Amino acid sequence: MARIIVVTSGKGGVGKTTSSAAIGLGLALKGHKVVLIDFDIGLRNLDLIMGCERRVVYDFVNVINGEATLNQALIKDKRVSSLSILPASQTRDKDALNKENVGKVLAELGESHDFIVCDSPAGIEAGAMMALYYADEAIVTTNPEVSSVRDSDRILGMLASRSRRAELGLEPIKEHLLLTRYSPKRVKDGEMLSVEDVEDILSIPLLGVIPESQAVLKASNAGEPVILDTESDAGKAYQDVIERLLGETVDFRFLQVDKKSIFSRLFGG
Amino acid sequence: MADASIEFKGSSFTLSVLHLRTSKIADIRADLIKKVAQAPDFFYLVPLVVNIEQLACTVDYQAVKRLIEEFNFTFVGFTGSVENEQRKLIRELGFSFVNTAKINTAKASSAKVTTAQKDAIAQESVATQTKTKATPQCHLYTDKVHRGQIRSGQQVYAKDQNLVVIGSVSAGAEVIADGNIHVYGSLRGRAIAGATGHHKAQIYCQNLEAELVSINGNYWLSESMEQHWGVPVYIHLTDSELTSSKLI
Repeated sequence: MARIIVVTSGKGGVGKTTSSAAIGLGLALKGHKVVLIDFDIGLRNLDLIMGCERRVVYDFVNVINGEATLNQALIKDKRVSSLSILPASQTRDKDALNKENVGKVLAELGESHDFIVCDSPAGIEAGAMMALYYADEAIVTTNPEVSSVRDSDRILGMLASRSRRAELGLEPIKEHLLLTRYSPKRVKDGEMLSVEDVEDILSIPLLGVIPESQAVLKASNAGEPVILDTESDAGKAYQDVIERLLGETVDFRFLQVDKKSIFSRLFGG
Repeated sequence: MADASIEFKGSSFTLSVLHLRTSKIADIRADLIKKVAQAPDFFYLVPLVVNIEQLACTVDYQAVKRLIEEFNFTFVGFTGSVENEQRKLIRELGFSFVNTAKINTAKASSAKVTTAQKDAIAQESVATQTKTKATPQCHLYTDKVHRGQIRSGQQVYAKDQNLVVIGSVSAGAEVIADGNIHVYGSLRGRAIAGATGHHKAQIYCQNLEAELVSINGNYWLSESMEQHWGVPVYIHLTDSELTSSKLI
């Protein structure tokens, strides 16, 4: 059975799609069969981040409505053959999905894949609930600021009460905290919540800390998930996330202000 | 979600309750005429539950329903602390039997507490009855224990109980108890103790960073908690004034 992982947050713009793309691709690079599903019906973005927007013919809603088969809708990634993308529909809205049919699609995908990564829309409405309903694990993407942390807290409450696992009284969804856009310097200056602050409020295990990085925007615009940028801090941090998801213990990096970088900046390096 | 056209949820409503003291339909009718004449508009289409626990013998249930509807009430069902056989009979006649949320008659206090509390749907109204709500005595509350964090947007209510939270209460979450509240973690949300008017209720927490604390209607917003912000404290009432004291 595939591990169904939802990437969720409550708040918008915190890096759910960036993280979904990086994690999906990262797991595939490790040789796992991965499918990335865009649950953000009506606001399709994952295809752009993955660089496959010109290859979308059928989408998730077509599959749900029986207008296309899964094989027709799945887009094979050109970089890694074990990765497929199931794009959202841009012309429909969140009500186009229903629990029963989403369950069927996930079950079918689960037979032929190791990981199903669900990119959730923002909010706590039907679309986000649909994305988390069947999840086995949740990656709660959070920025180190109070409103994002509170929204993540709300989503954690939903994970514990509105998911399939909660409804059936099964083992609860495994929760992971992914802190994105982290800036050690701003934490030091007291402008940003620290890792410890966020961990204290949310009290769930930390999966990764992605530093604020210019590489992320560049990667998004280029349609190349940032994990491919192995030189960048963000790319390295996502690689650590993959190791941890696969059960390895990896030290957290990029939590301190990098003294060398200031030094090298002085000398234009 | 998928079945968005309908949703089943439990809610509490305030309903008017008619307490019967006799099973003689004619007598009930005579008294109803007098009562309704005082405020005919007030009673028009009011949902009404009929309490039969004060009756010594059974009553003609169908006649009661017809009578009620004759006076333009909307008949909801029967209630009261009665034998199970009688409930069964009522159900077999096609009437609903409504369990009360609050047991405040001496007769009901012992046997029915567990079942009646669980199926709380109706609260007795004081509007049409002269009977006023009993002021809570010094109860021996039992504990409702919640394991794990209470997240933003969640609400936990310990009805007629103390609430024990083994974990933190997040900002944006709400914990309410008719008795005391114990939080073995940080209290960052709202805590309302003694919710139904219990003067001696207290709030204990390992770390006070609450949005609001309230005991028996007296409340503090976070700005009033500066003195003991971020430390383990308990909060109690002294002469209608909230007071916080360090736990250790």
